Amino acid sequence: MVISPVHYIALPLMAAFLIPLFGKLNKDLARIIPGLVLLYLSYISVVLMNQIISSNTIIVEIIAGWRPPWGINLVFSPFTGFLASMFSMLGFVIWMYTYNFKPEVDNAQKQKFYVLFMMLITGATGIVLTGDIFNLFVFLEITAISAYSLTAFYRERDGAEAAFKYLLIGSFSSTLILLAILLLYTQVGTLNMAEIALKMPAVDPYMKGVILILFFVGFGIEAEMFPLNGWSPDVYTQAPGPIGAIFAGMVVKAGIYGLIRVVFTLFDVKEILPLLVIIGMITMAVAEVIALRQGKLKRMLAYSSIGQMGLVVVAFGIGTHESVFAAIFLMFNHAIIKGMLFLSGTYLVYNSTEKTLDDVDGIGKYLPFTSFLFALGSLAIVGMPPFAGFWSKLYLLMAAADVRLMAVIAIILVVSVIEIVYYFRVIHRIYFRERTSTIELKIPSFNAKSAMLILAIIIVAVGVYPDLISGLIERATTDLLDKQSYIQSVLSVGLK
Amino acid sequence: MIKQFFVILILSIVGYFLVDAFFKVPFGEKRNNVGNYYIEKSPVDLKVSNAVTAIVVNYRGFDTLGEVTVLFLAATGLGSIMYRRKQKGEKEARAKNPSSRIIQIGSQILFPMIILLGGYVFIHGHLSPGGGFQGGAIIATASLLMLISYRKFKINHNTITWIESIAGVVFASLGFVGLVLGRTFLENFLPSGELNDLLSGGIIGIIYIAVGFKVASELTGVIDTVLLNNRPEAQKEN
Repeated sequence: MVISPVHYIALPLMAAFLIPLFGKLNKDLARIIPGLVLLYLSYISVVLMNQIISSNTIIVEIIAGWRPPWGINLVFSPFTGFLASMFSMLGFVIWMYTYNFKPEVDNAQKQKFYVLFMMLITGATGIVLTGDIFNLFVFLEITAISAYSLTAFYRERDGAEAAFKYLLIGSFSSTLILLAILLLYTQVGTLNMAEIALKMPAVDPYMKGVILILFFVGFGIEAEMFPLNGWSPDVYTQAPGPIGAIFAGMVVKAGIYGLIRVVFTLFDVKEILPLLVIIGMITMAVAEVIALRQGKLKRMLAYSSIGQMGLVVVAFGIGTHESVFAAIFLMFNHAIIKGMLFLSGTYLVYNSTEKTLDDVDGIGKYLPFTSFLFALGSLAIVGMPPFAGFWSKLYLLMAAADVRLMAVIAIILVVSVIEIVYYFRVIHRIYFRERTSTIELKIPSFNAKSAMLILAIIIVAVGVYPDLISGLIERATTDLLDKQSYIQSVLSVGLK
Repeated sequence: MIKQFFVILILSIVGYFLVDAFFKVPFGEKRNNVGNYYIEKSPVDLKVSNAVTAIVVNYRGFDTLGEVTVLFLAATGLGSIMYRRKQKGEKEARAKNPSSRIIQIGSQILFPMIILLGGYVFIHGHLSPGGGFQGGAIIATASLLMLISYRKFKINHNTITWIESIAGVVFASLGFVGLVLGRTFLENFLPSGELNDLLSGGIIGIIYIAVGFKVASELTGVIDTVLLNNRPEAQKEN
């Protein structure tokens, strides 16, 4: 069988249907299969990325034998491929972390956890890879349904509340996106994104505006934009630790991708870009100020995550080649760094019920490895050299300076100071306070340690030598901004 | 206060434009879209007389695979949220009192007929209105009827898991067979047959039967999970 992008979706689906059967044969198989699938997907990511980078093309795969616009197609381009590869590899690392996480959970429950876990990653990957707007909606549903159930996985009161809140807001978002797709179809008569982009200039500007607002609010909820992000702090706090890492690293990224794909490819309105900058700045400022006041570790990380998403949206909103480059770099950095912060932070407050900041006082002596990685992640996320976060922030500031957006630069710098305050406060508590809490600490398992270590190594490696990744991001940027070649490659596939 | 203001503001903006825009879309006009292509081509190319089925299972079969997964995930998620350890000597009863004799006899007569109708609907999905989702839902109502009528009616979760998984695997495998035969995922690799024949439309019929089994077993599982957790005894324990 030839390696092709459809494997990203078809294999995990097949595996998800098989897990309940294999779970009957051997209770460990249900845990191992997702890892094997994600490992294989990481492998084909490398192969496919090599293929498109070396031949300078993009892979458009048609499904069910109907070429666009009649059938559904998947697009594996430098931009979508970069995100899909990132999701698969990060997914594999997080799988390693989950392998011995909470051994006391029943086997029947573990099996369900792994099905939902794998489909959460598959849904996010599908959103990124698909070339069809309704298919994107289907994958959004797959992501959302798994996310709701995983939020309530521990079946506590607060978890149920968070999941229910998320369910209501998420359904609202899905409904708006579905209505937007419906209106779009009445206007252009197709669901293929390339053909929509082609026919868009002829659409009545009023309709265009309405559709854009619907998409904007719908994806804005998924991408944690202010004031649509009420669901996310609770969800991050209540979901199991590794799932928090997936939310920050993939689910929100997929939401941002939807927003960006709609604004950059589907629509030809440049007027919306300043709105992105403004919303991004408000999101960033509000979230970081709230983060400063949080007394719970995971809530703090959640607000910091919202703030970072604001930064990404600002970077996309500036709209120049340099700033989009910075935005994609930020997405990558945020995925690995916030992923690692969630993974290590979870062990810092493992047995605590309240998960407050007091619980981490003086923990540096007892959990040296986890504390060290958490501190490293904190330094990286605020943008200290020589870590990965430094470069993306620097590129963004340079891009903003190029177009003379001094207000943006000022806000980013002020917000960075706030970030430094609340992250350093945690580091201070970890290393320079005496431990007062009597809660039993949990030593991370070997798998969890290696997962965190892998992410830490990537953070340092990219920080010291950013060229490791910047070539790929450069190609991704060119690909995202080159709408014409996207339309052409999709619509010409299968024509002989 | 400010939060509520923002929420109301955003909702009213969205609501206004939504209603206004949908009233601007003319109703019932023939327009130029991909739908026309499907209507013209599905009886000719695919030999499928129900164009909706042709779209759902073939042209946009990938979406259907996704939708089947959504249902599967919803059932799995519900199972994980409603999960609880079984205690020893636990009674499997759902209803407090047995239902009346009329309902019991009535459901005995109706049960096989509902199953038959459900099966008919999904087997003939490519010929007449209906299909896998509808047929599956009909069959699930039959088991709901039995659960309401008989206190002791038991649903074997093992069997349900098997049916569910095998049906899903059949759907995904058909996709892979299309891919392996050197073409594309989910492509029709069987002969299309004659229009209006039961054995027409290539893999469409097989996929819809698999979907029917999957939907039926999943919805039955969901109903059973919800009913089990609402037992009066279970509430007393908490």
